[in-house]
Amino acid sequence: MTDNVTSRRAFLGLGLAGAAGTGLLAGCSGSSGAVNGSDLQIWGAFASQDIQAYFEKEFVRPFNQKSPVQVQLSAKPSNTIDRLTQTALASGAGPDIITADGPGQALSYARSGKIDNLDDYVDQFDWDSYYLDWALRPCRVDGRLMSLPVQLESLVLFYNTAVFKKHGWKPPTTRAELEAICADAQARGMMPLAMGNAGYQAGNEWYLSMFLNHAAGPDNVYQALIGRKRWASDVFVDAIELFKSYFDKGWAGGATADYFTNLGADLDSDLATGKAAMMPCGTWQIQNLPLYFGDGTGSIGDWDWVPFPPLADGVPDNLFPLAIGQCYQLNANTRHPKQGAAYLNYLVSDPAKQLKALSDVQFEPPPVHFSIDDFPDDLDSRIARLYHQLTTTKAIGYTTWTFLSQQSDTYLWTDIEKVVTGQLTARDYLSGMDEVFTPDLKSGNVPQAPAPMEVK
Amino acid sequence: MAAIGHVSGLRRRRARIAWLCMIPLILVNLLVIVGPAVQSIYYSFTSWDGLSSAHWVGLANYVDLVQDPQFVQGLLHNIEWTIIFLIVPMVMGLFGAYLLTMIKRGRALFRVIFFLPYVVASVVVAAIWQRLLAPHHGFASLFKINFLGDTHTALWSVAFINNWAWWGFLLVVFLAAMQGVNPSLYEAAELDGAGHWAKFVSVTLPAIRPTFMFLALMTIIWSFLVFDYIYILTQGGPAGSTDMLSTVLYRAAFSEQQAGYGAAIGVVMAVISGIVIAAFRIFQRVRRWDV
Repeated sequence: MTDNVTSRRAFLGLGLAGAAGTGLLAGCSGSSGAVNGSDLQIWGAFASQDIQAYFEKEFVRPFNQKSPVQVQLSAKPSNTIDRLTQTALASGAGPDIITADGPGQALSYARSGKIDNLDDYVDQFDWDSYYLDWALRPCRVDGRLMSLPVQLESLVLFYNTAVFKKHGWKPPTTRAELEAICADAQARGMMPLAMGNAGYQAGNEWYLSMFLNHAAGPDNVYQALIGRKRWASDVFVDAIELFKSYFDKGWAGGATADYFTNLGADLDSDLATGKAAMMPCGTWQIQNLPLYFGDGTGSIGDWDWVPFPPLADGVPDNLFPLAIGQCYQLNANTRHPKQGAAYLNYLVSDPAKQLKALSDVQFEPPPVHFSIDDFPDDLDSRIARLYHQLTTTKAIGYTTWTFLSQQSDTYLWTDIEKVVTGQLTARDYLSGMDEVFTPDLKSGNVPQAPAPMEVK
Repeated sequence: MAAIGHVSGLRRRRARIAWLCMIPLILVNLLVIVGPAVQSIYYSFTSWDGLSSAHWVGLANYVDLVQDPQFVQGLLHNIEWTIIFLIVPMVMGLFGAYLLTMIKRGRALFRVIFFLPYVVASVVVAAIWQRLLAPHHGFASLFKINFLGDTHTALWSVAFINNWAWWGFLLVVFLAAMQGVNPSLYEAAELDGAGHWAKFVSVTLPAIRPTFMFLALMTIIWSFLVFDYIYILTQGGPAGSTDMLSTVLYRAAFSEQQAGYGAAIGVVMAVISGIVIAAFRIFQRVRRWDV
């Protein structure tokens, strides 16, 4: 009897343990991309559910209505989508359409051998004519097109029109004018430049890109990117020392310590309520600033933008450091490469559709040619002016997250904090950059930058 | 003799059943812990970028670690963090628990109040304290110090926030241990004229030594694994003043795409934990202390 009871108990215990173990193992299977499925999977990160719903309505459902292969959108948190993508790709899975954080990340994905070549589709979809002259160059790896650029961005200077009118300021067009406003704003107890990196340490790269381009000049930055000029050259040392001086004067974020604790939402609010005079930032702010201006927000006046002024002689006016916020790639393991390429084309083509999305939810459009007729009538005139200038400018600069490898860019935005806190000199900082960048360039990990003269 | 044989056979059968029941758990352990651990050790000897094939580089990653100022700084910060957490929350937990043993009314309420921060998600705790310590908007503006923005105060500030959420857990565990102490020991101490402090030192501490040593061991190990509060509040800044081995590892693996180098840092962290555990085991044998 005892043996029978023990046997039954043993059987039950084994069965339960086996079921639990199987359940645990099944749970460990992880999220799968649809590389082995019958759909096209795309992972996306959206600022809100409304924006996600808009993307599904405008960029997924219309394609699915006409395609035998259906697109499945999977929303991921914006601060972890790149980690999830990297992990999935490393295991041979991942979505069919990969979203990379710019050409630098796209290049590293491409070098892994897990991304499909898009050269076969360039002529089919006439991408060479559709995109701006410079736009596909950073997306080529060893001459092959490995990603499509989306989200054209740049760095500009935002300001509060009512605050400027109240204090008799005009939007600055020179370094002297910029610094005069900074000094005046500080004297009035305002934060001269709304800057900070709390919550996103990599935000240092925005401000660095501004000073490298607007103080050292885009030609020098280009020479450094192709290895013909050392980063530790005097022109860059001067630019970084100028950057540090803005911290020493208390212009950047109010104070050096405050810069490290200024949250983005607080900075937006400070600009809207007149506590901050100006905000040097990326053009993606067109999505955030409207939330802080207008009725019921407690704001004064309205926002507007101007190009960040040149900070040294010889730097062109109306300089726009170019950035590609995201790139789309095709997973090499996708079972539907042709449909995937067709969907990629659907995502980036139709200029009128792109600008409608810009107007509706401030989706940044890809770097393509727009005609004046493409701009919808209800598009905010400030945003229309911005993208008209971005797509027609002849004075281009180079943002670090678009035209550097991830390793070099990470060095720039981590160690700059030691410079502004006085732990590292500008020259030693840039010498360190040379040590990181040189092997990166030699091993082909730096995206190709368009020469300034290539922009027609 | 037959009865002894029968008992022995029953024991063997039960042991077999126990091992059979553990097989699924062992399999899961191999799959999610041992397997990745072995992989990490392998990748630590490669220049793996986290995506493409790994290339063997031998000890190059470990040589680079020793010369990497970020790694050294992170290690020193971890040591500093360990010292802080071996002292502050442990002392607070011990004394808080001892004081609670002296009251009956309200003990359960205080236990809940002190334990509550521990069950709140670290993201929420960090967000609340980030606002409280905001130099211009929070109550910290009264002190005119930017606790999280100043390189001299940032690490201690993050430690303070983590401790606020942590010490309640220690208090509850210590309280449970203290409630298991034989009351006759306290009576005997009182008869000998011992006051509160003497009873605490001579009766309570020795009686709860196994619990104390276990929590001290885990505090050291957890201090070398600390990540969440650092990453949420400062991401290792300002200027690396709150960088820990975990944030250096995270940045190397995901921002710099040097997963092999990150794996090497992970192996070093595991070795440190192993050394600590080995030291405690030696302590246990030499001093015959329970851990």
